[in-house]
Amino acid sequence: MSGFWPVFKRDLFAIFVTPTAWVLMVIFLFLEGFNFYWLTAHFANQVDLAVDQGPLQWFFGDTILFYLPLLMLPPALTMRSFAEERRAGTIESLLTAPVSTAAVVLAKWCAAFATYLIAWAPTLLYIVILRRAGDVDWRVVGSSYLGVMLIGAGFLGIGVLMSAMSKSQFVALVLALAVTVGLFIIGIGEFIFDRGLAHDICAHVSIWSQMADFSKGQIDSRHILFDLSLVVLPLFITVRVVDSWRWG
Amino acid sequence: MIEVKRLTKSYGNVAAVRDVSFEVGAHEVVGFLGPNGAGKTTTLRIIAGFLGATHGRVVVDGLDIVEEPIRARTRVGYMPENVPLYPEMRVSEYLRFRAELKRVPRAKRKELVQRAMHDVRIEDHANVIIGQLSKGYRQRVGLADAIVSRPAVLVLDEPTAGLDPNQIREVRDLIRSLAKHHAVLLSTHIMSEVESTCDRALVIDRGRLVAEGTLDELRKLRRSRATRFTVRGDGDEAYEVLSKLTGVRDVHREDEEDEVTVLEVRWTAKTLDPAGKTEEAVNALVIAGLRVREASPAKASLDDVFALLTEDEGRNDDSRADEDEEEEGSS
Repeated sequence: MSGFWPVFKRDLFAIFVTPTAWVLMVIFLFLEGFNFYWLTAHFANQVDLAVDQGPLQWFFGDTILFYLPLLMLPPALTMRSFAEERRAGTIESLLTAPVSTAAVVLAKWCAAFATYLIAWAPTLLYIVILRRAGDVDWRVVGSSYLGVMLIGAGFLGIGVLMSAMSKSQFVALVLALAVTVGLFIIGIGEFIFDRGLAHDICAHVSIWSQMADFSKGQIDSRHILFDLSLVVLPLFITVRVVDSWRWG
Repeated sequence: MIEVKRLTKSYGNVAAVRDVSFEVGAHEVVGFLGPNGAGKTTTLRIIAGFLGATHGRVVVDGLDIVEEPIRARTRVGYMPENVPLYPEMRVSEYLRFRAELKRVPRAKRKELVQRAMHDVRIEDHANVIIGQLSKGYRQRVGLADAIVSRPAVLVLDEPTAGLDPNQIREVRDLIRSLAKHHAVLLSTHIMSEVESTCDRALVIDRGRLVAEGTLDELRKLRRSRATRFTVRGDGDEAYEVLSKLTGVRDVHREDEEDEVTVLEVRWTAKTLDPAGKTEEAVNALVIAGLRVREASPAKASLDDVFALLTEDEGRNDDSRADEDEEEEGSS
């Protein structure tokens, strides 16, 4: 794993020293804040609450306002990873240093993941606010954030791969969005098909039902496995893609 | 320090580098010379480990770059063409990052970064953001990056491209001073660069090594192939006489003043005895009633050698003559 730390640190540095991360996080937090405000305003007028239909459940899965940023943020965080290095030519100095390809790929993914976690961190304040108004089920909070982390991890894996497939950040962004949004739309098929194979496939890849489960405190190993495969498979292919440049 | 054996790199059916072999010894500065697109960058990238070779072997400081790629790369300081750098980092930050990447132990990192900045004289720019540096300074940062881990071998791809004459002189001096500690292989398409910085040159054209040797050896190649005649009499007739001789490739009329004409005769590659040919030519001129004032081997600039070597290749490409010449050229 030679080269992991320096590349990880540099990528994090590159994200935060340029306005990219700050702009993304401002937009992201604005949308999440808007979402949260909307939901609390809505629930403030409700007389009684169902156990599994509280603001937390809604926040983590029952509004499109939650999914929009979830789908958009990871591709925007990973679009630079390899595309920018290839455009600027810095990939040449990077890969001629004594580093292993796997370390570089993993470092870039980890840097994006760390940024993703940093972007989500301020939303923990919403939980603090909710606690002032009533009880918070910590297991639900935990499983919800677990879901957010897992899905984000998978999307970032896809994003890193797309970034390695293109020399342009913008193309990388569009490709990654196409996959993440595509996956989301296929998942919606769960509600279209009543039963049969199509329904099962759609349900398996459905981000919506995944988050619905996580936001109710249900941790399903199938979801975890699916998300982890979205990390491992794209990153494995990325290593192959980067190695293939040497033989191009 | 660098051993390249029968290196070939093909892209599909196109061979960018064909059967190239050479060595670079310690404390030696070797110029890798050739026109644009000759395969210089490809060869250097293979040595630096950025590209894989189709055939052949590269050994750097005793380590085979295929068998031990990561260890071999610790021995090479590589400066890519156009010096790609991260524009958002400060010079010292970048060099610290590169030093860590190149496995310089933490304890020695600060010192080596300082030393590299000192060697290329950019200490006063240590805190400048790279994106704001001029081309000359970017080039120096690239050099500092190449030497920061004190590798045995430096591979520099067109280190002076795009610099102004003053900067070029500075970078050349710098490279000469680096030879004290490193073996240096640098590519260029400028002859005078080889003349001013290198001990030895390799000439590559269309993927093949066409000549190799010290600068004097290269110049001799040329000297043996051209002779200047200063003749008094009818210039046109002198031209006729010389053109008709066997073994003459072309005759070039250079200078005419009153009755005196200067003609330069370039011998063909197969002419192995230019001195004998010169005798013959003088004889023929005298018989034709002309007065020969002077006959001397042409003083060759390396530019001429370069033109000759790379041009000949093109002329006789894929013919027998081509092979004869290559043997001669590389001997």
